[in-house]
Amino acid sequence: MDVLNELVAWFADPGQWSGPGGIPARTAEHVQYSLLGLLVAALIAIPVGLVTGHTGVGGFTTASLANFARALPTIGVLFLIVLAAGIGLVPVVIALVALAVPPILVNTHEGVRQVDPALKDAALGMGMRGPQVLLRLELPVAVPLVINGLRTAAVQVVATATIAAYVGVGGLGRYIVDGQARQDLTMMLGGSVLVVLLAVVTTLLFAGLSRLLVAPGLRSLAASAR
Amino acid sequence: MNAVWDWASGVVDWAVANWSHPGDDERGVWPRLVEHARLAYVSILIGLALALPLGLACVRWTRLYPPVLTGVNVLYAVPSIALFFLMLPYTGFSDWTAIVPLALYTLVILLPNVVDGLRQVPEHVRQAAVAMGFGPLRRLITVETPVALPVIIAGLRVASVATISMVSVASLVGLGGLGQLILSEGFRRQFDAPIVVGIVLTVLLAFATDALLVLAQRLLTPWARSGGRRGRRHRAAVPAGEATDADAGTDPTQTADSGNGARPWTS
Amino acid sequence: MITFEGAAKHYPDGTVAVAGLDLTVESGRTTVFVGPSGSGKTTSLRMVNRMVEPTSGKVLVDGQDVRSQNPAQLRRSIGYVIQQAGLFPHRTVRDNIATVPLLLGWGRGRARARAAELMDLVGLEPSQAKRYPHQLSGGQQQRVGVARALAADPPVLLMDEPFSAVDPVVRTGLQDELLRLQAELHKTVVLVTHDIDEAIRIGDRIAVFRPGGELAQYDTPERLLTHPVDDFVESFIGYDRGVRRLAFFPANGLSLREDVVLDDQDTVERALNTVDTAGEPWALVVDQLRRPLGWVAADRLRREPSGVELGRLDLTAYGHTFDVERDSLRAALDAAVLSPAGRAVGVDADGRVLGVVSQADLGGAIWSVSG
Repeated sequence: MDVLNELVAWFADPGQWSGPGGIPARTAEHVQYSLLGLLVAALIAIPVGLVTGHTGVGGFTTASLANFARALPTIGVLFLIVLAAGIGLVPVVIALVALAVPPILVNTHEGVRQVDPALKDAALGMGMRGPQVLLRLELPVAVPLVINGLRTAAVQVVATATIAAYVGVGGLGRYIVDGQARQDLTMMLGGSVLVVLLAVVTTLLFAGLSRLLVAPGLRSLAASAR
Repeated sequence: MNAVWDWASGVVDWAVANWSHPGDDERGVWPRLVEHARLAYVSILIGLALALPLGLACVRWTRLYPPVLTGVNVLYAVPSIALFFLMLPYTGFSDWTAIVPLALYTLVILLPNVVDGLRQVPEHVRQAAVAMGFGPLRRLITVETPVALPVIIAGLRVASVATISMVSVASLVGLGGLGQLILSEGFRRQFDAPIVVGIVLTVLLAFATDALLVLAQRLLTPWARSGGRRGRRHRAAVPAGEATDADAGTDPTQTADSGNGARPWTS
Repeated sequence: MITFEGAAKHYPDGTVAVAGLDLTVESGRTTVFVGPSGSGKTTSLRMVNRMVEPTSGKVLVDGQDVRSQNPAQLRRSIGYVIQQAGLFPHRTVRDNIATVPLLLGWGRGRARARAAELMDLVGLEPSQAKRYPHQLSGGQQQRVGVARALAADPPVLLMDEPFSAVDPVVRTGLQDELLRLQAELHKTVVLVTHDIDEAIRIGDRIAVFRPGGELAQYDTPERLLTHPVDDFVESFIGYDRGVRRLAFFPANGLSLREDVVLDDQDTVERALNTVDTAGEPWALVVDQLRRPLGWVAADRLRREPSGVELGRLDLTAYGHTFDVERDSLRAALDAAVLSPAGRAVGVDADGRVLGVVSQADLGGAIWSVSG
C-alpha cells in the first residue's frame, strides 16, 4: 500500500500540474501527437479503403497487409523509422501513421465489401451511379466498421505515442522514461496510470462517436442482432 | 538497387554472426527468440486456460456476460506498456510482469469467441442431445465444444499473433524476447540490423504460430474444412460477392471469422 | 410496350442463361415470367433495365433500344422491386421511398410528400414513415419496396420474385394488393416468379420458361391451363390444372337452392316437412339477417321434439362460404368439398345467404363449362 500512497502523493503534488513538464502539458503533447497521427492515417486509409472496397480491387493485398500489420512489433517499427529519419516529431508521426493505417484501411475496405449485394443491386436498379452507390449506400452502412477501425487505431496510437518518449519526444511516456532513468518507481507508475486513463477516455470517445455517426437504422439493427 | 542488396546482406550477416554465442546464454539472436516464444506461449496458454471456464460460466449464467464484456472492452483499450509498468511493484523483474498482462490480453480477445462459439450450438441440436439422454458434461464435451472449436481457434489465432507482437514491448521494462534485440542491440547502439532481425523474427514467429493453429483446426474439425462461413442472414439471389451482415463489427469483440479472408480489425 | 428481339445471354464459361428470347410485353398489363430455376427468367427481366446486357439481340422499351440510353437514367424511369425488398437499412421508410425522386433532383419536401402519398397507396400507416426497415415485418418491407419502385411514377415496373420471401398468408395479401394497385395504376408490370399459382393469380399474360433459357409458352393464364403446348409446360403447371382452371369461371351461373334455407325461428316440424318435400338430407339454418348459423341433418331433426325452434339446436358448422357474384367455380367447389354437409353456402357481398349448392349440382356446372 506504500506504492499507492506514494502514487497519490505524486498526483497530489501541485508541481505536477504546471509548467512544461506538468501533467496538463504532457497530456496535451500526447493528445497532439496521437490526433495528428490518427488524422493523417484516416485521411490516407479511409479514401483508399472506400475505393478498394467499392471496386473490389486489392482485396488480397488488404488482407495480407492486415495480417502482416497485426504481427509487426510496434517498438521495432517505431525505432526503425526514427533510426532512419532522425529524432523528432515528424518521424514519430510517420511511425504512428504507419501503425494506424492498417486497421482503418482494412475495416473500411471490409465494411464496404460487406454491404449486402442485394442492396447494391437495388441501388443500381434504381439508377444510382457508382459514386452515388458508394456515398449513399456503402459508406453509411460501413460506418460502424470504419469507426471500429478508427478506435482500434486510436488506442494503438495512444499506446505507441507513449513509447515515442524513448526516442526523445514529449507526451505522457516521458514520465515512464524519466522515471526509469531516475529509478523513480512512483513516476513510472504515475505515467502509466495517466496513459491508462487517456486510453480509456479515447475508447469512450469513440463509443460516443459511433452513437453520433451510425445511422439509427443500423444501430438498432446491430443491437437486435446481438 | 545495389545499396538495398548490400544493406539486406549486411543484416543477414549480422544475424548469422550473432545467432548464438555458445557458453553465453545472455547474448545472441537464438536465445532471444526462444525467450520470446516462451513468454508468448506461456501467456497464451494461461489466457486460454482462463478463458474457457470463464466463457462457460458466462454461457451458463447469462447475466454475467454483459458486465464481463464491458470489463473486457475497457481492459483491451489499456496499452500494454502501461500494464507492464503497473505490474512492476508486484512482480518485479520476473517473467510474470510480462506474462500476467499478456495472458489478460489473450483472455480478453478469446472470451467473446468462447462465448459466441458455445452459444452458436443450434437450439435443436442441443434439444436433440438432451432428448438422447446426454448429461450436461457429456453434452459439453461431445456436442458444444466441437461446434465451438472453430470459433475458439479463430480467436486464438488473433490472440496469439497480437501477443507475440506485444512481447516486444516488454523489453521496455527490461524483460527479454526479441524486443531486447530491438531495444538494446539496435536502438541504443543506433544500429539497424538488430531491429530488422527482431521485426522479421517476430513476424515469422507469429506467422508460424498462426500456421500451426490453422493446421490444428484442420485436424480437429475436419467437418468445417470446406464449409466456409455460415450465413447468419439469408443470402440474396445475386451473383458474385458475398452477402454478409452489414452490422458486423459494431461490437468490438465480435467473433473473428474462421475464413481466410481479411477479417475486420476488432481492437 | 417491351419487346425482346432475339435477346440472348451467353456467359464466357459457356453457360446459356437466355437462349434467344422473342417476346412482346403489352403496355398497361401484368406479364409474368415463370419457370424453374436456371430458366433465364430473372436474366431476361434484368435485361430490361440493363442490369444484364444481352450478348446478342436487343430489348426495346416503347420501340427504343434500351442500349441507346444511359443505364442510370433508364433505370430511374423503370421501377424495380427485388426479393426481400432490398431496403436501405440506414434510411427511414420515408427516405427509402424518396430515393429515386431525390436522384431525379426533386426537392426534399416534394420527395417526402410523394413518399407519404405512396405509403397511403400501398397501405402503410403514416406513423411508419420514420421507422427503419428492420422494424417492419417482411410483408410491410415488401410494401415499402413496391412504394419505392413507384415513387417516380415510372410507366414500367419490374418485379423480381417480389413475394417469395414472405409466408403464404402474407403473400396472398400482397398479391391482392398488387392486383388492386394495378387495377388503379395500369403500369406495364413484368413479374418474375417460380410459383405457377402466383403467375396464374396475377398475370394477364404468362411466359413459361424452361431450363436452358428458352421460352416454352406465352399465353393467357386460361389458355395455358387448357392448352399447355407440351409435356414440360403441363408438368410445370401441375396435375390439378383442371381444378385450377375453374378459377376462370364465375360462380354466378350456379343454380342455388333456396328451399332448404330455414329461419332460426322455424320449428323442427316445419324443417322436417321442408327436407322431406325437397328430398334433401341437410337444411341450412340462418338468422334473422339471413346470415348462416349452421347445418342440420334430416336424421337429426327426426330425433328432436317437433316444437323446438331450430335456433336452439346444436348445429353443424357451415364451413366456408363463397361470394356468388365475385368468386369463381373453384371457390364454390372448395367450399362444397370442405363443408361437412357436402354443400356450399353461397352468400352476397354482405354475407347474407342466397342459397346452397350440392356437390352433385356443382359437378353438373363444372361439366358444362369444361367442354
